[in-house]
Amino acid sequence: MTQPPIPPRTPDPEDPLVEQVASAYRPMHPARIAAHPVWHDLSAQGRVRAFELATALRKVEAALDPEGLSSTARSVLSRLR
Amino acid sequence: MNEDLDFLVIAIAQGDVSAFSRWLASAEAPLRGSLVRFATVVDTEAVLQEAMLRIWSVASRFEPDGRPHGLFRLALRIARNLAISELRRTRATPVPSEMLAEEPEAAAWAPPDPMLQKVLRKCHEALPDKPKEALGARLASQGGEPDEVLAHRLQMRLNTFLQNITRARRLLAGCLSKHGVQVDPELSS
Repeated sequence: MTQPPIPPRTPDPEDPLVEQVASAYRPMHPARIAAHPVWHDLSAQGRVRAFELATALRKVEAALDPEGLSSTARSVLSRLR
Repeated sequence: MNEDLDFLVIAIAQGDVSAFSRWLASAEAPLRGSLVRFATVVDTEAVLQEAMLRIWSVASRFEPDGRPHGLFRLALRIARNLAISELRRTRATPVPSEMLAEEPEAAAWAPPDPMLQKVLRKCHEALPDKPKEALGARLASQGGEPDEVLAHRLQMRLNTFLQNITRARRLLAGCLSKHGVQVDPELSS
């Protein structure tokens, strides 16, 4: 069954930050976990949105990947030590 | 998780990257889900990636306790402890008690729906050029490069690149929905 189309949300000033934080890119740091540089600029609500968007995006990425791996998994594999 | 992936432990411990890839493909979603309670206080993507890297590092010393999902339960503990450490490192206030709670049991997990995969590929192919390029750059970078770099490579401003990513996921969500595939509402947000 086709779902009814979801009306577009009113743009939010945090949208570009949420979109960046929802990516799998994270800077590398030799001694500690490094957050995405703009993660600190997000409100609590924006952080939750980024978490939820990342969850949804990884599902899509894994479904598009021949081995079923998301960009998070690919990033981890590229950093094996 | 549905399938106990502990049969992969020996291969992972011996450095078999394809066994680890298979473990990652199954463990990532429930492991990410276990971090939801930390989403407002730590960067869960960074914690998740570090937890997965540590599993790779400690797999050779892993000792099964006879219960299923042993390696995954270890990953849950590592991810939780990393999140708490990160929270302590970055905050002066005490860690809220609900975040110190034990990690949840292995959550239910479903492999990618073959219907989703088939339709998604079709929808991805049908994307307009710019959104497709932006999404393609993200996927090809495998989380290794920031969006600024990807945007520059595509000769787009960062905001344009991000708008194209947003457009790509909304178009994918619309296309999937049209084909009767249940879509996460966040994808079209």
